[in-house]
Amino acid sequence: MFAKQKFIAAALSGALLASGALLPSVASAQEDIKFYFPTSVQGRLALIMKEVVNEYNSSQDKVHVTAVYTGSYAETGIKASAAMEAGNPPAVAMVGANNVLDFVQKNQIEPIAGFLAEDGSTATQFLADFWPGVHANAMVNGDLYAVPFQNSTPILFYNKEAFAEAGLDPEVPPANWKELIEMGQKLVKKDGDQVVRYGLEFPQQVGYGNWILQGFVMANGGQYYNTEYPGEVYYDSPATRGALQFYDDLAHKYGIMPDTVTPSSQVATDFFSGRAAMMVSSTGGLGNVRDNAQFDYGVAFVPGNVRNAVPVGGASMVIFKGQSDAQRAAAWDFVSWITSAEQLGAWSRVSGYFAPRISSYDLPEMQAFLEEHPDAGVAVDQLKYTRPWYATFNYLAVAQPMGDALQMVVSGKATASDAARRAQEEADKILAPFNNSVGYPVE
Amino acid sequence: MKSELKAWVYLAPALFFLVMFTYYPMLQVLWDSFFFKAYGQESAQFVWFDNYKRLFADPAFSQAVRNNLIYALGTVFPSLAVGFFLALALMKSTKFRNFARAVFFFPTLVPLIAAAALWIFVYFPNVGLLDYYLGKLGFGPTQWLGDSNIALYSLMLLAIWKNAGFYMLFYISGLQGIGEEYYEAAELEGATWFQRLRYITLPLLGPTTAFVFIIALIHVFTYVDHVVMMTHGGPIGSTNLVLYYIFQNAHEFNDAAKATASTVVSVGVLLAISFLSIRTMERGIHYES
Amino acid sequence: MSTNASRKRSLPAMLLFFIIIGSVTVIWSGPFLWMIIASFKPQTFGGLDMASLAPNFKPTLDNYRMALMSAEFGTLYINTIIVTFGTLSVQLVTVVLAAYAFARLEFRFKTLIFYMFLMQLMIVPPILIVPNLKTIVSIGLDDTLVAVMAPYFASAFGIFLMRQTFKSIPRDFEDAAVIDGCNWFQVLRYVLLPLAKPALVAFSIVSIVAHWNEFLWPLMVIDSPDKMTLTVGLASFTRAAEGAADWGLIAAGTMIVMFPLIVAFVLFQRQFVSSFMFSGIK
Repeated sequence: MFAKQKFIAAALSGALLASGALLPSVASAQEDIKFYFPTSVQGRLALIMKEVVNEYNSSQDKVHVTAVYTGSYAETGIKASAAMEAGNPPAVAMVGANNVLDFVQKNQIEPIAGFLAEDGSTATQFLADFWPGVHANAMVNGDLYAVPFQNSTPILFYNKEAFAEAGLDPEVPPANWKELIEMGQKLVKKDGDQVVRYGLEFPQQVGYGNWILQGFVMANGGQYYNTEYPGEVYYDSPATRGALQFYDDLAHKYGIMPDTVTPSSQVATDFFSGRAAMMVSSTGGLGNVRDNAQFDYGVAFVPGNVRNAVPVGGASMVIFKGQSDAQRAAAWDFVSWITSAEQLGAWSRVSGYFAPRISSYDLPEMQAFLEEHPDAGVAVDQLKYTRPWYATFNYLAVAQPMGDALQMVVSGKATASDAARRAQEEADKILAPFNNSVGYPVE
Repeated sequence: MKSELKAWVYLAPALFFLVMFTYYPMLQVLWDSFFFKAYGQESAQFVWFDNYKRLFADPAFSQAVRNNLIYALGTVFPSLAVGFFLALALMKSTKFRNFARAVFFFPTLVPLIAAAALWIFVYFPNVGLLDYYLGKLGFGPTQWLGDSNIALYSLMLLAIWKNAGFYMLFYISGLQGIGEEYYEAAELEGATWFQRLRYITLPLLGPTTAFVFIIALIHVFTYVDHVVMMTHGGPIGSTNLVLYYIFQNAHEFNDAAKATASTVVSVGVLLAISFLSIRTMERGIHYES
Repeated sequence: MSTNASRKRSLPAMLLFFIIIGSVTVIWSGPFLWMIIASFKPQTFGGLDMASLAPNFKPTLDNYRMALMSAEFGTLYINTIIVTFGTLSVQLVTVVLAAYAFARLEFRFKTLIFYMFLMQLMIVPPILIVPNLKTIVSIGLDDTLVAVMAPYFASAFGIFLMRQTFKSIPRDFEDAAVIDGCNWFQVLRYVLLPLAKPALVAFSIVSIVAHWNEFLWPLMVIDSPDKMTLTVGLASFTRAAEGAADWGLIAAGTMIVMFPLIVAFVLFQRQFVSSFMFSGIK
């Protein structure tokens, strides 16, 4: 259990240290570098990150890192990229794992191989200690460009008390879509016409919702996008249409989930207040659930259909071009430190994200933690089913039509096949200029 | 002739910035809207009207235009009406009325982004301020921002709350400018409350209404902070407004071509409205001075 | 009209009036009441029971402590003050000079140029974010506070307002000053500006409020977090806290951003109200 008092005390001391760092420093050989970082699911992770960076700063005297909180994954990507264009990039940034491709395309980040060579290592050797599921998003055209830092997958949280109340076995969560529907229907509770408890909720805002949908599409046997080439998405494929049909049925045929768009903040609140018996959400929110759920909850794999499959999410460290040699070295020193097995393990324990390094789980602290929190173990066990997060050219634009499509289906504004067809048409239009060698849209 | 030179010297600074940040960009964006620069390519190609074709073929753009019209109608008239009736009620200065005026006016002063931050909670389903107190009155929860049929109206309500107090001020000063003698005369004639409203107050407030109307119109086309904060244009694009569409294409979607073309279209619409409203404003100015 | 009408209101009508206006006032202030109460409220699990306006809890400063730690409000404040007052000082110069020219001098194309300015009342800078960003980048000003201010340096509204004000001041005053040997600057400084003070104050307040509150343009033009303004900082702060349903934190952050406005408004309410009114009648 992450004690709030302790956290506040630690954060306070961190803030004191940070304010000390603001004072004009005496001239020294210290290399000052900037580090941009986002938070995705929990804002207070920003405070803990500053504390971690302070720990690094006081652990040695060669490098001083200024940690700058830059908002969401999308905002951080936009800001870091714009800062690079303006000639003032941060040395290091933590960016959404599927954002790496975009930076490589704009020729803004350093390949990691160069740093590894200086340490007498290679990308293959380096990646051997990382879970296979996180490799793809860190690589572009076979070269490593990012070091995975925090990773997550969608996971199923369920309220054991609600299960018991509905006459279900609290130790047996749904394992597939069929069971999800059966149990979901039993879990719905009504007061007259008013639903007071839904069977299931999951985030549906553009971005987060696309990520969850990708999981359902892959569980339905599909690909969602071309993992080999970032100019193609499979929005109008049988598996995608099937996943959207499943949404439609959950919302309208069975009434298991609301027929309006639920953003992640509402999903979490509804789960905590008992208004949603199950939620599919990021493992990055595990810490939040641990702190806030006032009831017995369980954690399970996201139910599969033809197979179990979840996309990996999270963020990775990248190093920007345009640095002096000293800054480059400082940046790599910091990245190496913060992505060490110990640091990744510690970050995993406070946040709920899983540690991308396999050796983090061999550490005694980590094993003790897993024993105490079996829910974190479920997230790790699910890793064998992970696949890369969709990454395409101009992915924010490409995500929008599918985000709209899933919302249309949930709101009953379009059938699954209509929505899928429209999303595909729009995405194709957006991708056309990238795919067309003339660099000019096809009519 | 000396006056002529002097005038230009005095005008120069303001004129410089006016040209630099209003007229030059208008021409610049018009010129740019005929070019298309592919991702990763160095130079842009002249493509005639292709960007406009792409823009008008984009369902998200037509939706944003439609939304903006609904938003304009549903925000401008109600907030003017609310402002007017508040002004009628609070025109006379008493302690209570001054306090009430302050309450209605205060939302005008706060940043729209801060108001939006608060209203995220106001609109939060079940546990939010609105649902919590509506629940006490026996109403069920509503997806104020999650239901694509409702979300735009929720943003309108926020805009009315934010701006009505501003318009109220203009109406109060307008009302205070109407001479007592009109009402005294009307009273002698035995006019009813409604007749006085209809035949004296409203006509004499014409210039005020025209002025406030224009300010309100500017508001609905140039403030989308709440969209950025609360809905990102969703769900299903139901709260996407034209300026947000421009922002999204320029800032997030790497589609400068669509952003420039839609800027040209909005500038065109605003120019048309200003040509019409300058007449009104001129009339307003003559009334006042 | 209500001055007349109210004289004759009967007691029940008055009562009804106060009940209606009173309850509308309470509803209107709801979001602010909630902000103040929630900002001192201990965080309940998952943000439940945050809506109650009943002060049935022990007030805490935890939300403020957390808010101050999660965002660099000090930097945000300094940047916002620089932007707000920097914009205003340049505006005052450009506006007064231009308004003087329009009010007092004759020159060619006067009407045309006046209309060119008037047009800017509608074609306001936010609409032109795309080309303006291009201009700013091309002159190398992107990611600077000057870039946030520059598009507002010429204010059509200010010129319009000051021109009306100058026109309403009889020329005799200036003529007398000129006869006394004053040059144009002295005339402006000692005759026109003092007489136009209410309008200047009104314009300043309106300008300060507008630029304190500006969001979209600084969001576009600023990339470095250490150059962000309060509104931009509040937006990313709020989105992060919303993810964890940390409503008390959002309330405290919003309160921190609005605090100077609340204080200024309480202290100078009359001034604020009359400034905004003044800006309307002219």
